[in-house]
Amino acid sequence: MSTQTTPATGEQHLLEVEDLHVEFHTSEGVAKAINGVDFSLDEGETLAILGESGSGKSVTAQAIMGILDMPPATIPAGRVLYKGQDLLTMPEEERRLTRGPEISMIFQDALSSLNPVFPVGWQIAEMFRVHRGVNKADAYAQAIKLMERVNIPAAKDRVKAYPHQFSGGMRQRIMIAMAIALDPKVLIADEPTTALDVTVQAQIMALLQELQEEFRMGLILITHDLGVVADVADRIAVMYAGRIVERAEVGDIYARPGHPYTKGLLESIPRLDQKGQKLSAIGGLPPNLTRIPPGCAFHPRCVMAQDICRTERPELLDVGPQRQSACHFSQEVLDA
Amino acid sequence: MGKYIVRRLLQMIPVVILSTFLIYAMVFAMPGDPTAGKCGERPCPAAYIEKFNAKYHLDEPLPVQYGYYAKNVVQGDLGENQYGRPVAEELSERFTVTAKLAVMALIFEGVIGILAGVLAGLRKGGFIDNLVLISTLFVISVPIFVTGFAAQYFLGLKWEIFPALATGKDPSLFSLVLPAMVLGSTSLAYIARLMRSNIAENIKSDYVRTAKAKGLTPRRVVGVHTLRNSLIPVVTFMGYDFGALLGGAIVTEGIFGINGVGGYIFKGIQNRDGIAVVGAVTALVIVYLLMNLLVDLLYGALDPRISND
Ligand SMILES: Nc1ncnc2c1ncn2[C@@H]1O[C@H](COP(=O)(O)OP(=O)(O)O)[C@@H](O)[C@H]1O
Ligand code: SF4
Ligand SMILES: [Mg+2]
Repeated sequence: MSTQTTPATGEQHLLEVEDLHVEFHTSEGVAKAINGVDFSLDEGETLAILGESGSGKSVTAQAIMGILDMPPATIPAGRVLYKGQDLLTMPEEERRLTRGPEISMIFQDALSSLNPVFPVGWQIAEMFRVHRGVNKADAYAQAIKLMERVNIPAAKDRVKAYPHQFSGGMRQRIMIAMAIALDPKVLIADEPTTALDVTVQAQIMALLQELQEEFRMGLILITHDLGVVADVADRIAVMYAGRIVERAEVGDIYARPGHPYTKGLLESIPRLDQKGQKLSAIGGLPPNLTRIPPGCAFHPRCVMAQDICRTERPELLDVGPQRQSACHFSQEVLDA
Repeated sequence: MGKYIVRRLLQMIPVVILSTFLIYAMVFAMPGDPTAGKCGERPCPAAYIEKFNAKYHLDEPLPVQYGYYAKNVVQGDLGENQYGRPVAEELSERFTVTAKLAVMALIFEGVIGILAGVLAGLRKGGFIDNLVLISTLFVISVPIFVTGFAAQYFLGLKWEIFPALATGKDPSLFSLVLPAMVLGSTSLAYIARLMRSNIAENIKSDYVRTAKAKGLTPRRVVGVHTLRNSLIPVVTFMGYDFGALLGGAIVTEGIFGINGVGGYIFKGIQNRDGIAVVGAVTALVIVYLLMNLLVDLLYGALDPRISND
């Protein structure tokens, strides 16, 4: 069941994920990593996907990109509509051509995500050479322009340098340059600042926001740290055990969380001494995805859990204008 | 870079001097008569022994003898063997054959080993993977003389696909095919396995995931982004292996009647032909050191994270 907020006019979203399921077939059994995720993204909009590590954020992103390793992954159900077209049923060769010019992605660890044996300029230029058939010299010239655009000092001199010769922040800028090279409409950033120092984090977030406004991209910002995205995101989807448990506008969530899990994340203790990480105030650990608890998957850790939570799974329902929550007691949480 | 090469070449000098001195000492300090066997069945006449001793300064202390020898070596004179032929000339003939064989073995093991390793690594646990694992295990566990004789018997004599022997001073390339395959077989197996594990590991790496996210073709994701990184250890292995191959292969040369360096040294030791052995081994030490340098340079060129400064 989808409680997607489709505009009344029926106009189509830039990106629409519907009832997405992803499973991993492992030796320990079937890990149900994504269990029916719905969300939409419009042009120029920033959607933050928030959740603890292991909640399925990266898998969701990779399923949208179509870069999951299958096997072990399978997608037993769901649709990923880009401009109304389902990417999941698109022939692979056609879909490949959407990666880069239409949808792009950057990753958490830029050092390991860049190829260590090719110069950074070569890796950026590859986008132009492969997708547009641009010759080497022109592709390099465009790569330099992009490096300048993402504020890499002395871009011309450093275009032939290798990833290990840059700082963490500069490497992430290179990843960003590569991702936006072909003017994608959707940019997915999977924890783009998690590996960086606090000051650099802010610079990278500012750059992403700037580029998003400049190119009117739809931006999906994945994070486990609400603090990082608060200023940048328009809407937030909170994930737990492969489901969206709350979805709302940023301000609303901050003011009044509508789900005990979101509330727990918000109440996490900020640890300024540790690279902006927060110590979770939520006791216990996320569930083993091969054995997700029945009812509300969060119930073993939820301070508000009642009997019904152990047997009946709460649906993601409207709890206010433009916001949904999947909790039997969402009203109580909101009123608290 | 140029500085690095010069420094490495300078470092080689003491290594070459010390190792050749050790070989020289071992060969000439061995108990017995260095002229034994040089005059057929009979002991050599006193005049010959005197001349021989004078020529190689055998009455002087060992370091001095070596000094004279080294002086000649630097001038390109490796002395004469027991049949009176210049060692340098014989070695260069032998070395040409060995080098041809080594290059062919290297191409064989490299091309097939890398191909098999890539195919196996891309589908770990698949049919090709199992085929590669079993056949390479077989090749590794069977001694080379068994592989050699079997190949010679079946491919050479029975089915007559390749010549069974490669004798003479200048054997044809075609006659060296079978020996090269035998010679390269063990390394081929190691290369296939090394490549397989590298590919299987790198295909799961973050930068390969990035390559897919860039919308590159699967061919490019594997052929450019995965292969390049996976090749680095393999190329290094092949470099060292080439150095070893240039040292000759006594068993393979023996089976196929090849007049290579390996057999030359072997015969030299058997006949106690000190000058021939020392000359050949000195040449090999230098070749091996140069190969080492080449491998290090290649490694630096393939992996920009390694700096040769
Ligand atoms: N290659 C894989 N094989 C098996 N399970 C996987 C694989 N990738 C992800 N998973 C499962 O999916 C879950 C969600 O992972 P992920 O999306 O990376 O979480 P995160 O929210 O931290 O990004 C993990 O806890 C793991 O159990
Ligand atoms: S449904 Fe129950 S267990 Fe789940 S979050 Fe709400 S109160 Fe907690
Ligand atoms: Mg993740």
